[in-house]
Amino acid sequence: MNEILSKEKSIYIQISEMIENDILRDILLEEEKVPSTNDLAKIYTINPATAAKGVNILVDSGVLYKKRGIGMFVSSGAKKLIMKRRKAEFYENYVRAIVEEAKNLGMTKEDLIKMIEEAE
Amino acid sequence: MSTLECKGIVKKFGSNEVLHGIDLTLEQGKIYGLIGRNGAGKTTLLSIASGQNPATKGEITVDNLKVWDNQDALDKICFSRELNITAGNQGVGGLKVKDYLKAAQTYFPNYDKALEARLIKEFELDVKKRLSKLSKGMLSMVTIIVALASRAPYTFFDEPVAGLDVVARETFYKIALEEFAESGRTFVISTHIIEEAADIFEEVLFLDTGQIILKENTQELVERVVHVSGKEEDVDAICEGRKVYHVEKIGRSKAATVMLEPGEELKNTPDVTVQPMNLQQIFVAMCGKEA
Repeated sequence: MNEILSKEKSIYIQISEMIENDILRDILLEEEKVPSTNDLAKIYTINPATAAKGVNILVDSGVLYKKRGIGMFVSSGAKKLIMKRRKAEFYENYVRAIVEEAKNLGMTKEDLIKMIEEAE
Repeated sequence: MSTLECKGIVKKFGSNEVLHGIDLTLEQGKIYGLIGRNGAGKTTLLSIASGQNPATKGEITVDNLKVWDNQDALDKICFSRELNITAGNQGVGGLKVKDYLKAAQTYFPNYDKALEARLIKEFELDVKKRLSKLSKGMLSMVTIIVALASRAPYTFFDEPVAGLDVVARETFYKIALEEFAESGRTFVISTHIIEEAADIFEEVLFLDTGQIILKENTQELVERVVHVSGKEEDVDAICEGRKVYHVEKIGRSKAATVMLEPGEELKNTPDVTVQPMNLQQIFVAMCGKEA
């Protein structure tokens, strides 16, 4: 929860990604309570409604769940869930774009695979 | 739910009409950003909405109580004006900070002395000084202290961060958010330092030459307004049928600020570059001068 907000993306998306990163890095553990929206608002100097929007994305995707009157908690299996979704996003946002650009540059499939191997 | 409503507010100074029929509903438990150029009418609007000045036409109500000349309604509103102290010790300028605060608290039934003390400490303000001896930033601190400590359900801040250094501004935003979270009060904050305050506003109000031209959820607005640039005909094709602001042309190239429908997404294409805009850029596009 110590990253800083950038201007590149919507604030609430950054909030949800930061919580996810903390889960992936074991800063927040499964079945552990996450900071309240008021805490997040104060830490990042943002409106609590915006913080809540970021948290709610994670509730909708099952990464967090709500205990009534207590707060938000990390679901068990959250890490696996995040990885799975990020892989799908990686394919949509990067892999497809790479393939598209490789075509534009007149590269063959073999050229592209060679390039990827070189990058490793 | 508690609301403060402005209905058809017109304000004239002599023959000069500065507010042209403003309709505005403020809901309890929200932080609003009021943004407008110098002379747009921000201070006039806030002083009328708080019952400190009469409107030429129209009506203000808070929870259906008329605000004008009605103590029950006035108790719910605090408008902490910018302090403009003329040189010398005449009038308010001769008061010490602590005496000014003592006088201010008599106006607010929920005034919180403990919060006042905490803010004085956070801002490291010397309360024994006379107002006339304070810098612009220190005067802003005094207005912030009154506004926050008033604990009024509807609190209006008139350029609270004017003259404050960056650390004091950050302190203000944090304490305002903390107080907001605890109390669920409604804050209206006018400011010219748009970008750093943008994230604390749930909604923004753009006031342009005496009219509210926009009232939107800040995050949604920033998502919906994009900068589109490319060859003139390609940009024109995108502008077609959409709300367009601030068009610029250089040779064959054209750029425009475009408002999309809620949820609509516009992707970069080989012909057209679509870029996100921040609140300040959106404000300039909507309220700036046409090139």
